[in-house]
Amino acid sequence: MQQKLEQLKQDALRALQSVTAPDALEAWEVAFLGRRGALATLMKGLATVSPEERPLLGAKANEVKLGLEQTLVEVKTKIEGARWEKKLEEERVDITQPGQLIETGHLHIMTQAIREITEIFERAGFVRSRHPEVDWDYYAFEALNMPKDHPARDEWETFFMDAPIDEKMGKMVLTPHTSNAQVRELQKREFPVRMINIGKCYRRQIDSTHVPMFHQFEGLYVDKGVSVADLRGILDYFVKAFFGPTRVTRLRPFHFRFTEPSFEIDISCGVCQGTGRVDGQKCRMCKRGWLELGGAGMVHPNVLHAAGLSDAEYSGFAFGWGVERTYSMKEGMNIDDLRTIYKNDVRFLQQF
Amino acid sequence: MNILASFEWIKEYVDLEGVTPEQVASRLSLSGPGVERLYPQGTEWDRIVIGHVTTVEAHPQADKLRITSVDVGSKTLRIVCGGSNVKVDQWVVVAMLGARVKWHGEGELVELKPIEIRGAASEGMICAANEVGLFDAFPHGEAEILDVGEVFPERAFIAGQPLAAFLEVQKDTVLDIEVTTNRPDAMCMQGLAREIAVVLDRPFKPVVPMPIEEGEKTLNVSINTEDCQRFMAVRVDGVTVAHSPWWLKRRLLSAGIRPINTLVDIGNYVMLELGQPMHAYDADKVNGSLTAKKAEAGQAMKALDGKTYDLDTTMLVIADEEKPVAIAGIMGGEETAITLETTSVVFEAATFNEVNIRRTSRKLHLTSESQSLFEKGLSTEALPIALARAVELCLTLAGGRVVTNIADQQTLPYKAVARAMHVEKINELIFGKQDSETLSKNTISSEDMEAILTRLGFEPVGTKNGVLSACVPWWRAHDIEADRDLVEEIARIYGYVNIPPHFPAGISGSTRDPSLVFEDRLKTLLKGLGFTELMSYSFVSRELLERAQINPEVCLRVQNPLSNDFEYMRPSLMPSLIQAVSENQERFPRQYVFELSNVYQQKKGDLPAEQPELVLGLTGASDAWNRLKGRVEAIFRECGIQVDAWRRLENDPWWHPGRSMQAMVNGNVLATVGEWHPRLAERWKLNAPLAVAQMRVADLLAVTQFSKTYKPLPLFPESTRDLALVVDEALTIETVQRVIEEANEPLLRDVAWFDVYRGQGVAPGRKSLAFHLVFSHPERTLETAEVDTAFARIRRLCVEQLNAGER
Repeated sequence: MQQKLEQLKQDALRALQSVTAPDALEAWEVAFLGRRGALATLMKGLATVSPEERPLLGAKANEVKLGLEQTLVEVKTKIEGARWEKKLEEERVDITQPGQLIETGHLHIMTQAIREITEIFERAGFVRSRHPEVDWDYYAFEALNMPKDHPARDEWETFFMDAPIDEKMGKMVLTPHTSNAQVRELQKREFPVRMINIGKCYRRQIDSTHVPMFHQFEGLYVDKGVSVADLRGILDYFVKAFFGPTRVTRLRPFHFRFTEPSFEIDISCGVCQGTGRVDGQKCRMCKRGWLELGGAGMVHPNVLHAAGLSDAEYSGFAFGWGVERTYSMKEGMNIDDLRTIYKNDVRFLQQF
Repeated sequence: MNILASFEWIKEYVDLEGVTPEQVASRLSLSGPGVERLYPQGTEWDRIVIGHVTTVEAHPQADKLRITSVDVGSKTLRIVCGGSNVKVDQWVVVAMLGARVKWHGEGELVELKPIEIRGAASEGMICAANEVGLFDAFPHGEAEILDVGEVFPERAFIAGQPLAAFLEVQKDTVLDIEVTTNRPDAMCMQGLAREIAVVLDRPFKPVVPMPIEEGEKTLNVSINTEDCQRFMAVRVDGVTVAHSPWWLKRRLLSAGIRPINTLVDIGNYVMLELGQPMHAYDADKVNGSLTAKKAEAGQAMKALDGKTYDLDTTMLVIADEEKPVAIAGIMGGEETAITLETTSVVFEAATFNEVNIRRTSRKLHLTSESQSLFEKGLSTEALPIALARAVELCLTLAGGRVVTNIADQQTLPYKAVARAMHVEKINELIFGKQDSETLSKNTISSEDMEAILTRLGFEPVGTKNGVLSACVPWWRAHDIEADRDLVEEIARIYGYVNIPPHFPAGISGSTRDPSLVFEDRLKTLLKGLGFTELMSYSFVSRELLERAQINPEVCLRVQNPLSNDFEYMRPSLMPSLIQAVSENQERFPRQYVFELSNVYQQKKGDLPAEQPELVLGLTGASDAWNRLKGRVEAIFRECGIQVDAWRRLENDPWWHPGRSMQAMVNGNVLATVGEWHPRLAERWKLNAPLAVAQMRVADLLAVTQFSKTYKPLPLFPESTRDLALVVDEALTIETVQRVIEEANEPLLRDVAWFDVYRGQGVAPGRKSLAFHLVFSHPERTLETAEVDTAFARIRRLCVEQLNAGER
């Protein structure tokens, strides 16, 4: 009996050596370890041996069974492994082949700039509004403390519309700045006025640094007790959010009709870190370490009056800067010819 | 306006001992006019020195050249010289090797290298004035070198002294300063010095000229127009006009003005020094007394620039009893101009209306230094000082004697104005409202405010009951227009950098404009759908409109366009889109583009309607129209818009009659999609069919459903069957779908077309349409038999009603 068990073990192991496929392994399992397999058949003979021999043979049979089962698991693992290996080998690809070409869309650089500016100011509690591009002289100039004869109005190089002149509102113009929104917004009486107006503006100029249509963003904050300190706070916040946390601002005196006091805003140059020098040479990006961002100021009392507000009660600040110019001041955004922005050359558009 | 100011000159009016130009530039920029650039003087004269000619010999190979020996102190140089006036014992300007000169006064600076000229070696160059940038100071004839001994007869010379040191410019720096248009008072040396004195807190030394000793003769001037506020004149006889001394020339040159002769230079000097333009007439050529008045119709005058100007009755002139002798405030006449022969001069100082000066200047296309100051608005109170200063300089530099009274006419008496503001309000505007704790930290005391204003020349200044009051100095009368202007004066001198920033936390009183938010959402969606955004100018050409069959007459026109390309406000974005596609088509045969911008529709008696429009363009596929329609449908899906029907658009010049359609919602057209009419496409030479779509953003927003509604997921499985029908070519998918829906099959949940087939197995003139039919029941799992029955009934109905066959 013992011999038979040993023989069975040897036979089974020999048979297993030629097994390489999963179904053959299954057949082997049935033949040797199955319910009616060779081992089971042999075990039936256990009933005929003497009670003394029985525990010994039982133990032996169990040992053979466990041994074969363990070998089975090993072989099974090996076969499985080989099967996967083969399959995965077959599925191997050239990973240097470029991915499927997905044509993605592109938003215009101005849309992206406007979005970024809007988001920064919305976080500061300013809300974007919509105001006309074709507007009355009244809102574009008159209400902004620019009387008809004032030379400041020559500077704007305004486009006029071929349209009748309104008795009260004057000529119809293409607004040369987003400041036409100031009195319009104040007339809504939604205090505190915390407006960011981003829109198209128009001036009669075209060269590499001027386009006849461009975008400005206008900030207006009018409430009781608004101060120069508030303007400085908002400027610092915007410049750090837009250009980066290391940049600083400064105000310089300037002159605009619709603000008093008026300022020119400079930001420290990102190329020379505000030193005005790069490797011992004059920085080519800036003037003496500073870049001109644009104008700002405290809303002129006459502008408040035009909106029917008392300057004893209300004060505010305003600023208006070119989106193209401001965006060009970002690192890596130095667009040498602004006209490119509106040429619709897909090669340009796809860069953004 | 930018002013070039010599640092050495400025120092005449403000004590700047121990202060560098850089320090002035940094401090002044923060509190006053901005200093944009610094130009250290004489740096371009490196290795250019004074030399002494010791020998002159003929050049063996060239008649016009000489071989000279020039002592430059440390050594003697052998220089080949072509100067016609070179001679022994002459003091000259020598450019040594390595110096940079302008050859014959033209072109860029060139570095001098050892050279052989016609076989003779030359170790440098004896310079003409124009070769070292001094032509304006020392004009000369062709091929004449600068004879320093001749132009500086009174000076002693040292061979080898650098030219910059000899001309006393080496310590100077010219500051390029931007002065804003409201500050003509600072557009001169004294005015800038005053600003610097206040900003740096240094003593200011104003110009105090000798009073004029009037003569016995009578000089009359009169004003015959309200556009001249004051007119002063005085006559000096026995003057000798010559070239100005170097110091005067040098100062004019440093400010960018060319020296002419003593008297003209004096006028310009006073203008640069005090900001008050002056004019000088040759008194012997003036006929009778001078009058400021409007020109007569048809009058003309030849001005100092040699051109004749036709004048009209709006233009101010100064006229003698016969003729205009000056276009007032802009340019004098040639006939009465000062020449080297002049012996008798009338100095004029006047004040004119700034608007008149500006308009005349624009009309005549004639500008001058004088005009650019007058058009900013000047004070009548500057005249006596400027006139006295001119006479003082004249007596010193040109001699002569004042022979007349000082004529002085004034139509508008000057009255000084006081401005006042609450000290507390000033502080509040600068620092914001403060609680009692921070109050002392962030305020400017009334004493400090008074001190600042006093230094700026306000007089008297005082505070009473918390109100600061200050009388505006005459030179600031034009720009200190209102009480508020005091704030700027105080704050800028106090220093904006000293105002602590404060972030004003809070929220706006108004709400976001829903259409702006919607536009942004649409753009994001379109990018996701693979579209590239275009942005074109709002104005287009007449030609483009006409090419797109838009009548320009209905469009809003720009009265003064930059060019024909920018003449009409576009009533649609479509022409610009087509244009962009055509311009890009060679490089990009496949294009998915859109633009979302305002379009402009004229309105009678009001501003035009500005409406955002969305146009899309898709090219590069034979089924472009279908691809675009699918993307428009995706927009609708994203916006929660249910289209009632797509209606064919057949009779529109823009749209291909067989391939264009309109989405109908609530009985209105929401969007048009289709192929750009091939007849128009030809005008743009489009290479391939171009599908376009157009919709108004407001229409889209009006039917957009922002809110979503939740539907429970089906509890029981759905069963799908495909229905294929062979029908006539003309039969539309919509018709088949309607027949299926009208079967009113209660188990039918959804019908979706998925295929069309023509070809083998389908008769010509017929097509096979295939649909997915989805069946389900809300309360139980369907039996196969039930679905079979329902499907068969629908199929039968279709076959009957549509004359359909089956594949």
